Amino acid sequence: MDWSEPRNVKEWARRAIALRPLVLVLLIFAILISELRFDWLEQALGSYLVTTNTKRPESGAIWELGHRTITARQTLEQLITDRQSSQREARGATTFTQIASNLPPGQGVMLSSEHFRELYLTLPQGIAHKIVSSFELLRLFSNGRWVRTYLENEDYGFKIYLLNSENRVLRELRIPSDLLHQIRRVEIALEGTLEDMPTFENRVYPADRFFRAMESLPEEDLRSVISHPERLLGMPGRIVRVGISDEAVSGYIELGFEIDDGTRRRVILLPGREWAVWSLRSFLEEKGQESNHAPSSQGNETQK
Amino acid sequence: MTTPGTFIRLLRTVFYMTLALISIAAFISIGMFFVAVQDLPRVPEPLRRIIETPPTEIYAATGERLMVIGGREVVPLSKVSTHFIQAVLATEDHRFWEHHGVDKLRTLKALWVTLFEPGRIEGASTITQQLSKNLFFSFKRSYMRKFRELLVALQIESQYSKREILEAYINQIPMGVGAHGIEQASQAFFGKQALELTLAESALLAGLPKSPTRYNPYLHYDRARERQRVVLSRMAAVGYITRAQADSASRDALNLRRPPSGALTGSYFLDMVVRSLEERYGPDVIYHGGLKVTTTLDPQLQTWAVESLQEGLARLEKMLGVYEQAKHGAFREVIRPQGALVGIETNSGAVKAMVGGRNYGETEYNRAVQNNRLPGSGFKPFLYYTAFEKLGMNPATVFLDRPVTVPVIGAEDWTPENFGLKHEGPMILKKALVRSVNSVAAQLVERTGPEEVIRTARRCGIKSHLEPVYSLALGTSGVSPLEMASSFATFANGGIRHGPFWIWRVEDALGRVLEEHIVSGERSLDASIVYQVVDLMRGVVDEGTGSVIRRLGFDLPAAGKTGTTDGYYDAWFTGFTPTLSTSVWVGYDQGEGLRDIQGRGITGGRGAAPIWANFMIKATQGEPPREFAIPPDIRFETVNPVTGRAANESTPNPMRIALREGQSLYSDTLEDEIPYNSETETSQVAR
Repeated sequence: MDWSEPRNVKEWARRAIALRPLVLVLLIFAILISELRFDWLEQALGSYLVTTNTKRPESGAIWELGHRTITARQTLEQLITDRQSSQREARGATTFTQIASNLPPGQGVMLSSEHFRELYLTLPQGIAHKIVSSFELLRLFSNGRWVRTYLENEDYGFKIYLLNSENRVLRELRIPSDLLHQIRRVEIALEGTLEDMPTFENRVYPADRFFRAMESLPEEDLRSVISHPERLLGMPGRIVRVGISDEAVSGYIELGFEIDDGTRRRVILLPGREWAVWSLRSFLEEKGQESNHAPSSQGNETQK
Repeated sequence: MTTPGTFIRLLRTVFYMTLALISIAAFISIGMFFVAVQDLPRVPEPLRRIIETPPTEIYAATGERLMVIGGREVVPLSKVSTHFIQAVLATEDHRFWEHHGVDKLRTLKALWVTLFEPGRIEGASTITQQLSKNLFFSFKRSYMRKFRELLVALQIESQYSKREILEAYINQIPMGVGAHGIEQASQAFFGKQALELTLAESALLAGLPKSPTRYNPYLHYDRARERQRVVLSRMAAVGYITRAQADSASRDALNLRRPPSGALTGSYFLDMVVRSLEERYGPDVIYHGGLKVTTTLDPQLQTWAVESLQEGLARLEKMLGVYEQAKHGAFREVIRPQGALVGIETNSGAVKAMVGGRNYGETEYNRAVQNNRLPGSGFKPFLYYTAFEKLGMNPATVFLDRPVTVPVIGAEDWTPENFGLKHEGPMILKKALVRSVNSVAAQLVERTGPEEVIRTARRCGIKSHLEPVYSLALGTSGVSPLEMASSFATFANGGIRHGPFWIWRVEDALGRVLEEHIVSGERSLDASIVYQVVDLMRGVVDEGTGSVIRRLGFDLPAAGKTGTTDGYYDAWFTGFTPTLSTSVWVGYDQGEGLRDIQGRGITGGRGAAPIWANFMIKATQGEPPREFAIPPDIRFETVNPVTGRAANESTPNPMRIALREGQSLYSDTLEDEIPYNSETETSQVAR
């Protein structure tokens, strides 16, 4: 149908009030009013956005806050885990060497006073005395104030704080690196034979000869030669040879016990009191001269 | 062309143009929608999940909670006062229950006002839109940001119930003084739970989100009350309350809680704690990880420290005539003196109290830690210890107080002056320290050398840079009050040094220990020499430059030293009992000396010692008198303060001095009275 421009207002009004425009206007108004009344546009948009929600990024202030919280929790968890793992290993340790090997430099662990006492008792008397006198420990233990012990791994060795319940230091102890090294040597069975250790050169004796000589010592001196016979008893295998060091340090001489468990040979080092070892050596020399040749369980187990 | 034709054509043009504009607007809206929707943030499920973060809580040594950092605890609507909910709805969005995220009528009205009423801008954000903005968007104004904020609001409305939205909103709105959400705000301002808020309190708090700083009732009480009246009026207009109830509530007195310590009294200390934690764990862990930190602070001592410093500064201002200037209307322009106080437990190094300035709200600069000011004569104890240790001198060693000039290689000779510009002739070292005689100190440092004095100061815990010059003996290198209190604690503790610390223990939110402080002392000074120096410093308090302390009523055994710098820029008193070491500094932050109305300079004895006394009287109340431990090789002699010989009944003003094993008096060489002769060489007297 051709459209022509209305020529006058009457024509224009007639056309405007016709059915079609009225329906159109009513429709537009109905849409507008229903939107105002029922918010369908907002609801439609909102519903659409809900469907896309999971695909959208976790961005914005609150998500950043959330991410920071997660990062912070992870950092804390890591710190706690590290600390707890050091603590757990320390609690399970039966020797100082185990603690020293598991504790990173600059870090520390807290032990109960009882645990420290147990660790202390595993040390040979000579070494233990260098750390702290057993009487001093006894004094601290008996007055009930010593409740915890903090061990810190520092550059020069170990620092040990005996603490009361308020974390105040009752006694500060140190295990310098060289002493720690000594402890390691004592606590760890070294792989190999006495020949591998020049310090025992010319002073290696068959075990039976050594222990026969021990029998010559008075009962009260035996512990001065071997302060921890339990440690030797606890080792699997048999002691085949014993070496005596040619060097005395702070009144002690190191003894090396070579143990054969059938598959390998290992050496355990224990310090003995200098005077007791010298006295034992004189018996050993005498016995040596008497028998001139000692029986041996292996070909190389003779005095060199 | 006929008139109707023109009219109709015009109408048609307008119609098409409107149609075109609507189409363009629709196209732009659709385009914007697709652009905006691309990186629209994801809305979390449930909404409260990401609002919850564990707080870092800082506790005093006594177990009192001092501060909460971060952390949001969501309270359900049922645990919030109905008054507050109604107040928020009336003020922020009274058609909240009816709309779907956008209040179209309000938006149209706001548009009308913004477009046709110049100078007025009216906001129309609904609570949902505000929540959307607070959770996801920055406060940068842009149309696209506004549009995206609107879209997220629409999604939130579709995804959550109105109650969930309202609950999320009231739990995250910033309310000032570090409080987020109604529960924190209610606790911070009124010390009660959100459920217990009255109508008046609710109206006050509901007015805060508009501008938490502007309507902060601690800072702008009247303005906050005015805003409260607006809120009450809105509540009445909406029909939540009657006009009479609104009027009554607006007249109700508000029982505001004292500003929390986190905002004022403890803040210098807490700042230091937070800084230390940030250095150790990083900011994320502190603000979002949720730690439980036990500090060394004693809140009671801290309160007394703040009171003592503020009272002391008020007294000082009176002496300086600051109030006189204020009367002439210039108070705001007048620079007011500042101060700092640090109290340290001597046998552990624990910082029990710390004030870094007169008001944390005015300036956060912590003068107790960051301010390196010249200690003046306060440094002399390190010199005297050095002289006793390195030169074998004792408190009865006689020196001549005389004009002294010390030649300095490559620089001008050093000619220190005594405080009163007078010289008294021969005197024992105890008297020289008690009277703070500079000429004797100069002779001592000439003999010990400044390097040895620095070594002693370092052994005591001074960490600041110290210039190795003779004038060091008179305190010409800056130190902080924290260092002074800590280093003097080494004297109080018989030469055993404990580094200062302020954190006892750090745990995570589950109570697992991250670190704990071990109180470990280190012998850094000889106990007997320390006792000799302490005995000299007791003289300062009992009869010397710090005797104001006794006059003010502090009667427990105590030792200390005053310090005043040239030009009266700094006034110090650092002193200790066997249990507590405290350092006080007062002075101007910049460029001015402390002079009273008559122009007389204010010394450490006048400016700082009264503050020290005021604090220590309170801090040690109820404590039995406890003497400083006397080492077994110490014996006491009473001597003539001029000759150093044993005193007899006729000796005027005899002094008791402490001698170590092997030390004796100079009774064999000196006469009872040595006439003062400025030409006499010191070396003839002192040995």
